[in-house]
Amino acid sequence: MVGTPVLFIAIPLLAAFLIPLLGMIWKELVRIVPGLVLTYLLILAVNLLVHVLAHGPVVEVIAGWVPPIGINLVFSVFSGFLVTLMIFLGLLVWAYSYRFKRNVDYEPALKYFLMLMMLITGSVGIVLTGDIFNMFVFIEITSISGYGLTAFYKGRDSAEASFKYVLLGSVASTFLLLAIMIIYSQLGTLNMADIANKIHLMNPTLKIVSYIFFVTALGIEAEIFPLNGWAPDAYAEAPGPVGAAFAGIVVKASVYAIIRYTFTIFDLSGAFNFLIIIGMITLIVAETAAIRQEKLKRMLAYSSIGQMGLVLVAFGFGTEEGVFAALFLMLNHAIIKSLLFFSGSYLVYNSKCKYIKEVNGMSKFLPVTSLLFALGAFAIVGLPPFAGFWSKLSVMTAAADSNMILIMVLVLMVSVVELVYYLRVVNRIYFFKKETAIEPKKPTFNALVVMIVLGVIILAIGFYPDVVTGVLHKASASLMDKSQYIHHVLSLRQ
Amino acid sequence: MDNTLFGYLNYAVYGTAVLVILIGLYGTMVKKSLLKVVIGLSVSDSGLNLLIVAIGYYKGGTAPIFSPGFLENFKSVSKMVDPVPQALVLTAIVIGFGVTAVALALVIRLYRHHGTLNIDEIKNLKW
Repeated sequence: MVGTPVLFIAIPLLAAFLIPLLGMIWKELVRIVPGLVLTYLLILAVNLLVHVLAHGPVVEVIAGWVPPIGINLVFSVFSGFLVTLMIFLGLLVWAYSYRFKRNVDYEPALKYFLMLMMLITGSVGIVLTGDIFNMFVFIEITSISGYGLTAFYKGRDSAEASFKYVLLGSVASTFLLLAIMIIYSQLGTLNMADIANKIHLMNPTLKIVSYIFFVTALGIEAEIFPLNGWAPDAYAEAPGPVGAAFAGIVVKASVYAIIRYTFTIFDLSGAFNFLIIIGMITLIVAETAAIRQEKLKRMLAYSSIGQMGLVLVAFGFGTEEGVFAALFLMLNHAIIKSLLFFSGSYLVYNSKCKYIKEVNGMSKFLPVTSLLFALGAFAIVGLPPFAGFWSKLSVMTAAADSNMILIMVLVLMVSVVELVYYLRVVNRIYFFKKETAIEPKKPTFNALVVMIVLGVIILAIGFYPDVVTGVLHKASASLMDKSQYIHHVLSLRQ
Repeated sequence: MDNTLFGYLNYAVYGTAVLVILIGLYGTMVKKSLLKVVIGLSVSDSGLNLLIVAIGYYKGGTAPIFSPGFLENFKSVSKMVDPVPQALVLTAIVIGFGVTAVALALVIRLYRHHGTLNIDEIKNLKW
């Protein structure tokens, strides 16, 4: 046995609560322990993923109550791939912010790393769990640590951004619980595989009502268009690495939840078209909003929302190619957007308002950071030698296979808008003269290493996409095979 | 289903719960004071908890607690109300408490920063 899925939840949760105690022994432990834990979990995740690729999904039963009564964790290729990606990103966020607030004082670092660990615990739990109420609990863990991280800085308007997030987040939790109770009152079970097995017995009206409640609730976390009012403010006011954590970890987990409900649990025929429509609206609105932004981090936030819309569109094709394209897009979005947040927050480090015009001429002062930002900008737009090209290409081929020519046209047009606003920033970095008297801040050694690692990964996937496509094909096959999921979970009942 | 007054009272529980949820959402969306907004969130949570307990209840059910002689008398199992919603409510109450605490802490920070609780005057970030 190569380790069990429950460790991915138990170890970071334990570490999060041990951090304050360890900090009493030696203050540096507050910074070191999260890194050790995440490194261990990454090794575990890769091992388990290799095992799962060869032998099929691992289902963990908690406390000896076999499904459908107890809670179970499912580490399939699909969820395992996302867990590995999230923990890898968590490790990068930790390495980037290792020296964070080091010279200021001890307490903020303690709170920061504690909440970061809770955020990772919750997100990994959302992906692994096989029980809808358990998923609700993990969503709440993730959002409460998200509120805390958003309100991290005291000087800025972060409390306002965080309060906005709290408002939407608690309305989301009300709706989510309501949807869970509708399903429970109809089917008398909370286990996902069991629900998927019995869903045809449910009253069709109540089925649609609960699906809508689910999508509304999860859409708030996943930044779907009319519900994403919190996102730009939270990204702009939170510390830079937290923006990367939101884009790479929290949003991925929420999109996973929507996809799990749509593909596995519910059998609504119109749900796929619904995903395409909301995804398309999100994509168009977010990208046109991004072009109007004057602040760098808000622009990146809107771009992130748009990318999530595109992911939903790709999932909405409902074919295996579509799922493959969406997963590829999620992988690329996670690494490229993290690089943009990491390098972008150094480009506007010492400015108070973080305006885009303040990056003018930064290439002379921060050559490596500027180069990496430009690389990220080209990659996310989808220019050929970089990773983003392959994911956009696979979205296009998936759309063509499903005969969605209009979607192809719209996605390409939106890509042009994307190109415009990213090139505008890169243009300012390289070809404008520095006007304002803002002192550029040199990146720390850790931050530089993290950014270079991300840049190398983007180039590597760009030149050799085959290193990831094998896993992605297996992951999409594992999502599409609903009966296998149900069988694996329910066959534990002797 | 019986049409006596008692029969309708069963549905009255659901109606009350939904009404409480709606009152809470109304408070969250319409009120201008940040404190009232937080109270609205808390009220809608309570309504939801009431609804969940009502879903698990049926008329004449007993509390789902093991007691001596429980297993011999098999009839008492079928007379128990569903324990799962009650366990869920317990979790939901704790989560609601946590969210309310975080929201109130943020209200204090907003008050210190802006000197007001009126939502219309706190608009550095374009609500």
